[in-house]
Amino acid sequence: MSLHLPCPNCGADVVFRSPALPSRVCDYCRSMLVRSDSGVIKVGEAAALPFDVSPVQIGMRGRVDDKGFEVIGRVRWAWTDGAWNEWLLLFEDGGNAWLGEAMGQFMLLWERPFEKVRTRTLRNVAEGHDAIPGTEVTLDKEKLVIADARDVVCVAAEGELPFTAPSGWKLYSVDLRGSQGECATLQRDSDEVTFYQGRYVTLAELAPRGLRAIEGWKLPSYAA
Amino acid sequence: MQPDTALQPPPAPAARALTCPGCGGGVELRAAGYTVHVACQYCGSILDVTDPQVKLVTAYNQAAAELEIPLGTRGVLRGVEWEVIGYLQRSENGAYGWEEYLLFNPYHGYRWLVNVRGGWSLGEQLTVTPSWISYDELRVGPEFYTHFFADGEAQVDYVLGEFFWRVAVGERVATADWARPGAMLSREANASEVSWTRNEWLPGKEVQKAFGVDNRRWVWPPLPHQPSPWGAWLWTGLKLGAAAFACLLVFAILFGGTQWSAAGTFPIAADGHEQSVTLGPVTLPRRYQSVHLRAEVPRLENGWVDLDYSLVDRKTQQVFEAYGAAERYSGSDSDGAWTEGSRGNAVSIASVPAGTYDLVVEYKANRWTGARDYSAIDSGWMAVANEPQVTVEMRQGVLYGSNLWIALFLMAAPLLFGLIRHLHFEKARKDESDFAPAGDDEDDDE
Amino acid sequence: MSGRTFFYALWCLGVMGLFLLSASFAWSPFAEGSRARTHVGFYGPTHK
Repeated sequence: MSLHLPCPNCGADVVFRSPALPSRVCDYCRSMLVRSDSGVIKVGEAAALPFDVSPVQIGMRGRVDDKGFEVIGRVRWAWTDGAWNEWLLLFEDGGNAWLGEAMGQFMLLWERPFEKVRTRTLRNVAEGHDAIPGTEVTLDKEKLVIADARDVVCVAAEGELPFTAPSGWKLYSVDLRGSQGECATLQRDSDEVTFYQGRYVTLAELAPRGLRAIEGWKLPSYAA
Repeated sequence: MQPDTALQPPPAPAARALTCPGCGGGVELRAAGYTVHVACQYCGSILDVTDPQVKLVTAYNQAAAELEIPLGTRGVLRGVEWEVIGYLQRSENGAYGWEEYLLFNPYHGYRWLVNVRGGWSLGEQLTVTPSWISYDELRVGPEFYTHFFADGEAQVDYVLGEFFWRVAVGERVATADWARPGAMLSREANASEVSWTRNEWLPGKEVQKAFGVDNRRWVWPPLPHQPSPWGAWLWTGLKLGAAAFACLLVFAILFGGTQWSAAGTFPIAADGHEQSVTLGPVTLPRRYQSVHLRAEVPRLENGWVDLDYSLVDRKTQQVFEAYGAAERYSGSDSDGAWTEGSRGNAVSIASVPAGTYDLVVEYKANRWTGARDYSAIDSGWMAVANEPQVTVEMRQGVLYGSNLWIALFLMAAPLLFGLIRHLHFEKARKDESDFAPAGDDEDDDE
Repeated sequence: MSGRTFFYALWCLGVMGLFLLSASFAWSPFAEGSRARTHVGFYGPTHK
């Protein structure tokens, strides 16, 4: 049930599509807003997003696992050697997932409560130890390998999000990868640990509609 | 719900322009948002673009190299348009150098166009980790790869254009490679990460069509994953040849064989004078046929019988001649008993035209005196009491079995030639491997 | 179909053709006997 409210900073119309996604960035004044029962408050300002040629944009639609989704938010993360986007997908049944985009590769991840994860190596990382790339890990009887582990910082955000993503927010992020395209990400900061599980997808298999048009490039054949 | 086709924003610009702090030249970023380092195409300086403040990483002052495929070139490979945005020269500690072009399409990501000694491959970074089958074998999806190179080290010698990591001249990675016909799996590792790339071998014609490169360089020894140009043909050729031979075999079964024409048994004179008998008349109906003559001398021992055949056409008096000899010898020496020759003899006359023929057989029996006692006065096998006789049988036919084998040999010859070329190719290809069985490997890079 | 396959198919057809030709003439390079000069004199009955 979409909720339309005025931005407390500039008065522009901002929309909240899901109670699970209480945060968002105002499209006009870039204020970071949080909605609660008592209304909308501004909690900060989001940095401007740097220019990029990502094919994904807010408003893009697609289908995965036979459910339609719309891209409604984005967080941009950076580490010492580069940056990537994480797009928030809202499914037609109200659920959400993240589409991580880096170097032209896409990871589709669903949040999973970390309490349920029993893998010793991952629990060690959650407690503050370093993750070693190349370590083999067994998760739900599947073998995954730690692909990389790095300190990341939040650069900018836009659209609707499940949490406030302030610029400068630092995390330790570990990516895992399996032999059939399965992947997982563990993120920890000083307060908490979040865990995501999913698989690599290609943009083509998401059947995207509303891909961003980029000058000089023909839209691909898989875009409707 | 917003309609999909509400006011369309203008398409995002494809490139972001910036100024090189080293030389002031205008540099265009084609993969903005992904690119981390870009080497200025004018002065070669490496710039860090992760920050809006473009930082100079390494200042160079050199003219950009002349590339076979200039940066910015677009080409269509496998149905997708790619733009060349980066270029690397790498080597194994300065030797065995090769080139890599970074291809970009915002809707398809990155690919690598790799040129090794003139052989081209299209590389894609894997999102899966390969499964280890054994020390020597890897599996990715349905494909199996065999270990080819181990303990390699690649260094960057020259950089131009954009890259999605902090590329630096001199940066090193530990490499290892696995190959299968048509594709190679390359593993690169440094302190912080491991990446796998699948390089698919591209026929020169395809790269020439896409990017206009010169296709004519002969690649030898073959690349580890280069498919043998003879391999596929051999298999098709074998099927073709087998089918053709099967046709001939069927034909031979249907139309082969011989039919009996005439036969007779004749006495052999004890004194060994020349005798003549006539068999026939025999009518040969076909336009052309082969006539097979078989003589048997059951009592032949330590002697021989000369047989002169003349097949005479009654109407034209055309003569067809053949000569045969049945010979058989036996005895014993220090090694024991021995025999040589045979009591029968078969000859054939080819291309005998239709007609009515008489077969004249002129035969002469002989005794072999050899190592025997000259004082022997008996006539040996020709003695009257031995009842020596010769049986002559005449048959006619169309096909010769020997022709079938000649045909088989002729059809197999090109296949054999192809097989030799294929094995030569594969040996040269496999000899480049670090795991080649022969000990004489000069590929050590120490 | 590559050029090599095409030429090999032609080659096989040629060999098959040669084989059939040899069959139509009942000929073989290994045959011992052949036509000789017309023999002087007659052999066999030349009339009934």
